[in-house]
Amino acid sequence: MVQYQSSAGEPAGAERLDADELDIIFAALSDPTRRGVLERLGRADASISELAAGFDMTLTGMRKHVRILERAGLIATEKVGRVRRCTLGPRRLDLETAWMNRHQQSLEARLDRLGAFLERTKGDPT
Amino acid sequence: MTSRPGDQSRTSTLGLPSDREIRVERVFDAPREHVWRAMTEPDLVAQWWGRGNRLDVVRLEVERGGHWRFVEHHDGAADGFEGRFREVTPPERIVQTFEWDGMPGHVIVNDMTLEEVAPGRTRVTVVSLFHTPEERDGMLQSGMKAGLDRSYEVLDAVLRSVG
Repeated sequence: MVQYQSSAGEPAGAERLDADELDIIFAALSDPTRRGVLERLGRADASISELAAGFDMTLTGMRKHVRILERAGLIATEKVGRVRRCTLGPRRLDLETAWMNRHQQSLEARLDRLGAFLERTKGDPT
Repeated sequence: MTSRPGDQSRTSTLGLPSDREIRVERVFDAPREHVWRAMTEPDLVAQWWGRGNRLDVVRLEVERGGHWRFVEHHDGAADGFEGRFREVTPPERIVQTFEWDGMPGHVIVNDMTLEEVAPGRTRVTVVSLFHTPEERDGMLQSGMKAGLDRSYEVLDAVLRSVG
C-alpha cells in the first residue's frame, strides 16, 4: 500500500497535509475493509457492486466505505451510465510521511496531557 | 491542535536526527519518580495517554519482552495501539515498539529517556525510529532526494503544529 517514486518527478509525499486532513485520512485507513478496498483498487478499477461482492457486503455498506475513502481523497468515483466506477487517488499518499506526521502530533498531544496530569497531581500522582 | 494544558512546562524542542527519526524533548515540573509512575502504572496511564479520549489499558507489562496494548475510544470508534518492551531501566529509560492497528506492520521503535535536570524537574526525550521502505529495499541511493524532501515536509508539519 505504501507508494513512493524512485524515478524523476515530485516525491509522492510532496503535498502538505494539515492535522484535520491527517485525521480524516487515518480514520479512513483505520478500517480493514477500507484498506482492503485500497489494495483491490491498486490492482484495477472496480464498480461499487464489484467491490461489495468481493468483500461479501451489501451495496449500502460498501457505499459508506467508498464515501469515507473518497472524502479522504484516497479514491475517486465517477458515474458511468448506471455504474459508479472507483479508482485510486487523487491523493498520492506517501503513507510513511503521513504516518510520521501523525505520530509526531500524537506524541506531542500525549506529552501535553502528561504535563497537565503531573501538574494536577503535584506531590502525589496516585 | 486545540488547547495546550501543560503550557507552563511546555519547553519542548524538536529535532530530526535522520530522515527515519523524530525526536521530541519536554521538561516537566515533576520529579523523575512521578513521571516514571505516570508512564508505567495502568491507572495513571489511563488518565493522560488517550489525549482526552477514554482509554482502556488492556495490557501493560513493563518488563523486557512485555506486551502493552491500549485502546483509545472516540466518536464511537476505537483505535488500538500495541507493542513490546525491548528495554526497561527504572526510572530512566524505556525502549518499546509501537504499532497502530490501522497500519499493521509499520513498527516504530520509541526510545525514551528520563533525566532529572534539576530537583523536581524531569526532561523526557523520545526518539521515534521508523522503518522505511527505502531502507528495507536498499534504495538509499534513489530515495535520498525524496527522503530529504520528506524530512523538510515533516519539519514543516512539526513547526506548524508547534506554532
